[in-house]
Amino acid sequence: MKRVALALLAFSIAASAYAGGNAAKGKEKAAQVCAACHGPDGNKPSAPDQPVLAGQYEDYLVRALTDYKNGRRNNAIMKGFAGQLSKQDIEDLAAWFSSQQQTALHDQR
Amino acid sequence: MANTPMVQAMLGALIAFGMQSALAQGKPKPPADKAPSVQENRPAMSEKSLPMENFHAQCIGCHGIPGYKTAYPEVYHVPRIAGQQPGYIIAALKAYKSGERSHPSMRGIAASLSEEEMKQLAEYYGAPAK
Repeated sequence: MKRVALALLAFSIAASAYAGGNAAKGKEKAAQVCAACHGPDGNKPSAPDQPVLAGQYEDYLVRALTDYKNGRRNNAIMKGFAGQLSKQDIEDLAAWFSSQQQTALHDQR
Repeated sequence: MANTPMVQAMLGALIAFGMQSALAQGKPKPPADKAPSVQENRPAMSEKSLPMENFHAQCIGCHGIPGYKTAYPEVYHVPRIAGQQPGYIIAALKAYKSGERSHPSMRGIAASLSEEEMKQLAEYYGAPAK
């Protein structure tokens, strides 16, 4: 029995490590860094050329933030914000925004 | 295969070329013995008085399939664009066209679009869910 519990524990640790982002931590970070322009849940861009983030794919958000951080994607504003994020911050933020059910994004086209 | 910038650039060019030729399929080819006239030499994508239901066909293959992932150059989900802000879609397409954004397939597609076409696509995809 103990062994099964240990195996389960090991599995859940492995699973959570694989999942990467922590949405709750992402929510806190988003409030500090992203909310002013994208809205706290990523659904209220403050300008027409800023994207909706709520409901976007998690791995795409990680990709985008990482690209801004390392300069592969070049945007003066986003470079400033993404540059101060750690890899863990990026995964947390992606987990938070991607898990939003309320979103303008949809799959209809 | 080695994932060097050189190999990436070559593959990217190949993919973009493949798309252009796939899109040009509907057009009759000039006879082999005759050099194509300026008229026939226009890029296929610019002859579009195509209605939008055909025009956005170039996007559907990747963006129209929920959960679809890119296979190249790295594997991740192709972003959702339906319901996205039109202004952002236009900005993204322009950034691909100028080379500022680097995804090879998107650079191939965006390079063939005029500003007016970008605007039309942005309005089409930016519309809210019904």
